[in-house]
Amino acid sequence: MRDSALMRRPAVASEPVRCGDLLLEAPGGSILQLLGKAGATPPSDMSLPEVAGASPGLRNAGPGQWFVVTDRELTGPEIDALAARLAPSLHVVDQSSGRFRIRVSGAPSRRMLAKGVALDLHPERFPVGTATSTLVGQIGTNLARTGQDSFELLVLRGFAQSLWDDLLLMSREFG
Amino acid sequence: MSSYRLPSGGLVDRAASLAFTFDGKPMQGFAGDTLASALLANGQRLVGRSFKYHRPRGVLTAGAAEPNALVTIGTGGRTEPNTRATMQELYAGLEATSQNRWPSLAFDVGAVNGLLSPFLGAGFYYKTFMWPAGLWEKLYEPFIRKAAGLGRATYEADPDSYEKCWAHCDLLVVGAGVTGLAAALTAARSGARVIVADEHARAGGDLLSTTATLDGLAGPAYADAMLRELASHPEVQVLPRATVFGWYDGGVFGAVERVQKHVAAPDPRRPVERLWRIAARRAVLATGAEERPLVFGGNDIPGVMTAGAMRTYLNRHAVAPGRRAAVFTTNDSGYALAGDLERAGVEVAAVIDSRPDALAFPGLRARVIREAVVSDAHGGREIQAVDVWADGKRERIAVDSLAMAGGFNPVIALACQRGAKPRWSDAHGAFLAPDVDGLSLAGAAAGVTGLAACFESGVRQASAALSDLGFRPTPLATPVVEGDVVPAPAPPLWMIPGVKGKAFVDYQNDVHRADLDLAVREGYGHVELAKRYTTNGMATDQGKLSNVNAIGLLAKARGVSPGEVGTTTFRPFYTPVSFGALTGAHHGKHFQPVRKSPLHDWAARRGAVFVETGLWYRSSWFPRDGETTWRQSVDREVLNVRANVGLCDVSMLGKIEVCGPDAAEFLNRVYCNGFAKLPVGKARYGLMLREDGFIYDDGTTSRLAEDRYFMTTTTAYAAGVMTHLEFCAQALWPELDVRLASVTDQWAQMAVAGPKVREVLQRVVDEDLSNAAFPYLAARDVSLFGGRLRGRLFRISFSGELAYELAVPADYGESVADALMQAGEPFGIQPYGVEALGVLRIEKGHVTHNEINGTVVPADLGFARMVADKPDFVGKRMLSREALVAPGRPQLVGLVPLDPAASFRTGSHVLSKGAAATLENDQGYVTSTAFSPHVGSTIGLALVKNGASRHGEEVLVWNGLRNEMTTARLTSPVFVDPANEKLHA
Repeated sequence: MRDSALMRRPAVASEPVRCGDLLLEAPGGSILQLLGKAGATPPSDMSLPEVAGASPGLRNAGPGQWFVVTDRELTGPEIDALAARLAPSLHVVDQSSGRFRIRVSGAPSRRMLAKGVALDLHPERFPVGTATSTLVGQIGTNLARTGQDSFELLVLRGFAQSLWDDLLLMSREFG
Repeated sequence: MSSYRLPSGGLVDRAASLAFTFDGKPMQGFAGDTLASALLANGQRLVGRSFKYHRPRGVLTAGAAEPNALVTIGTGGRTEPNTRATMQELYAGLEATSQNRWPSLAFDVGAVNGLLSPFLGAGFYYKTFMWPAGLWEKLYEPFIRKAAGLGRATYEADPDSYEKCWAHCDLLVVGAGVTGLAAALTAARSGARVIVADEHARAGGDLLSTTATLDGLAGPAYADAMLRELASHPEVQVLPRATVFGWYDGGVFGAVERVQKHVAAPDPRRPVERLWRIAARRAVLATGAEERPLVFGGNDIPGVMTAGAMRTYLNRHAVAPGRRAAVFTTNDSGYALAGDLERAGVEVAAVIDSRPDALAFPGLRARVIREAVVSDAHGGREIQAVDVWADGKRERIAVDSLAMAGGFNPVIALACQRGAKPRWSDAHGAFLAPDVDGLSLAGAAAGVTGLAACFESGVRQASAALSDLGFRPTPLATPVVEGDVVPAPAPPLWMIPGVKGKAFVDYQNDVHRADLDLAVREGYGHVELAKRYTTNGMATDQGKLSNVNAIGLLAKARGVSPGEVGTTTFRPFYTPVSFGALTGAHHGKHFQPVRKSPLHDWAARRGAVFVETGLWYRSSWFPRDGETTWRQSVDREVLNVRANVGLCDVSMLGKIEVCGPDAAEFLNRVYCNGFAKLPVGKARYGLMLREDGFIYDDGTTSRLAEDRYFMTTTTAYAAGVMTHLEFCAQALWPELDVRLASVTDQWAQMAVAGPKVREVLQRVVDEDLSNAAFPYLAARDVSLFGGRLRGRLFRISFSGELAYELAVPADYGESVADALMQAGEPFGIQPYGVEALGVLRIEKGHVTHNEINGTVVPADLGFARMVADKPDFVGKRMLSREALVAPGRPQLVGLVPLDPAASFRTGSHVLSKGAAATLENDQGYVTSTAFSPHVGSTIGLALVKNGASRHGEEVLVWNGLRNEMTTARLTSPVFVDPANEKLHA
């Protein structure tokens, strides 16, 4: 068994989908949840050399909690090193399989997301770098604005296919 | 039929001719027509039959309040009954059908109801069909519903799609007439985010039907200029065809946008209707006013309509109402129409003005009869004449159309949906709404009259709202308005003398003046009682035209002011909203999300039959060739686990990581049993109580490090336990440093169980799995596949066999499950589903929420010794309540039928042997049953009074619902390996 084929199967097996100016992608990578006490301050990107090469993004996930998202899949030792460095003020929980990452980009992104998101996504109210936990339709997600017209969603793995299908439906009119 | 279309003028495009049908008859209209204007242009004045008396009815209004011109649009799955012809845009190929008539619109058998009308007054059904009671549901109600009614819905599926959408703005302007446009433009120029919603296809309101000019521009041109400027502001969104139907808490308004209700073949990529939820910081209601009909005999005959509607059809749609019209007015607005009619070449036979002191309007050729009323209109399917009373004399005047100008009711419904009460204003002769909670009224909705004053009002209210929000308002200058007839306030005319025929108050529900008199005479004079007694205001138009007239008539009958009568309660929705729009995209596959286990596809590949468990789909069993019943599959899976080894997906169990220096103390307080001293690398069964001492949930929690635990919960309570823990951490013990993360979805978790499990697992797990190295209840991070993957291994057992649960990152779940199946092949490994899992746990006497059903405390399940003597834990205080420690409580027992061929069902009750089957003799009930291949018969778990001390006793199992009685014996709940030798093997 030591030579068994080990394959990572993401929750949604899909190539990027384009609907007119809208692009839906599943960028993969790693997702780490940082658990601090309420009121803890977030680590700045600079304090995470272990994942520096993986273009990490830091997402608010509630009081004292963040998601670190990297485009490159981190190795176990990298995660351990990071955890050791952040301890004891922050605990690191690997959620790379537990959350599924969806990227939505293109000019109609905000209009598309407004079909499921109750939050005001006006760039002045929800500027680039903002992230929060909210619903997309009936499905809970962590929603982040990564650019003027680009957003990322982190969703529980079990709901990923349903959310992906919902987003495709919401995008239909732009394609 | 002759055409009533004027040769020129109006906002219709004569170059774009649109063919449509009405009751199968081909007709032509123009782009810019509504169905109502097109029908009128074609001379089709009879468009429907009334609800109760089946009276001929025509178009009464030009807007959302239309009570008469209700038709069915479309065919097949797109059939839409009760569509207001006044709101339906005309499109090429539109098919409209009249309703509530048989066999045809012109000849309707139901019209005989009109002859029976002396017997069909208010309250008639309740007085007449009292006896025998049984006939009401069987005969009377179905018959009445068939005879009186609206259009019929289709049973075919709707082929179109719907969606919901959120929007946000600083200022929501409801209505895009002159008031709304002025308000919106003020806000736009001030830099605010603005949404303007208008229920009509084209924004502009009365600007589209006035003949006045603004700054020298015709009304429509002025409206277009304002709309063009609005469109140039990036933060302004104009929503035409969007009816704001409700105002809800938090400044949220509901609106329905008819995206594609005006096209024959909707684009399938777009919805036909979109439900908006608009979160607005402030709102200006510029909803205008509804013209009051006048309550005279025959005021429902086709050809009678409100003056404003007639003016709209004339000026906007270039449709003449007839050849010879009369105008019955209580105020100056009727003269604007009379002048326009004359200019369009329609003879105005008379203007009948109820006021003694009406001014003369220069240029009007028509005869003006002052201090006069129309008491009755005459005609069958079309009006032919009116009776005019003046100076105590009656005069009959031949006309083919009649306009009613009874004054205006401001449209205040939205403002009053959240409890605000309208107040009667004698000065306005109308009910007005107060400005409340960030919503203000402007223009005609606030009782303002005249284009210039409405414009100013819109600017003023928008400026005030913007100032509140911290903007510096940029007010617009009021245009110079010429040619506007501004009606001065005039007293309403409720009770018209000399009426002989039926004078309708509520057209749609066929409530006439005599019904309201009757209501007052019979003691139902209160406005809410009168409404229910007469059904006035209860039709789909919700009394938009009728309520205020009814209040006026009730006030007259009771000798009080309309303010004293008051209004009925305003509620959403303002106009009917389709179920499609309310459902949005949530139907079919998108009805609710599906939660998929990481091993879902793996199980599907192996032919699993799935069962819905909440939102999860769990694999139930894995049928094999030749198996014809689920029991065959389940029995095989159970026996294989007992004899060889099986693999079951338990990924949907809740999993929570509990970290922090105080994690041990936290768990010690959350669980009733001790957790503080659990060593690192060990798992322990934990029992969580509610505050009231009853068991809340159970599961296994493992200590992975000094300050890190991995908790599992039941599938059903995963979210509830997480919330409970968060509450404990945040509210009960904020002094404890503990952090929680739900990791349910991170791990694919597999129960691998059976006597041969160790050999199978050892081929995948790098660590030594011998009993000495990895004993019962060991729980550790493990290396897999020669260090290529890390996972977590727990030596715990739900089946009673030697068993492990292996957790791996979910994305690798399928690979690992495949590898285990491959490794287990020589040992006879088989997958097993939740049905087999259930049988295995019942055989072992393990409890689930069947037993932990909210009525049991630890001692009831034999867990008394688990409850630790520690300073505190959730549920500790209440657990010692008298009733929870009293003798005679139900206790967990096993149950087997005396005859192995017999069986019993979950939910059956347990009686002492020989006792009569009564609830008084109840000894307890069966919580779980299964056929046990191991025992060879049905077995059960039950909660029985003092059960723990009654093992061996013969009892009766009674199912009163199915009339089944089985003799059985109480036993230990553990049917398999009571000494737990297998667990420690």
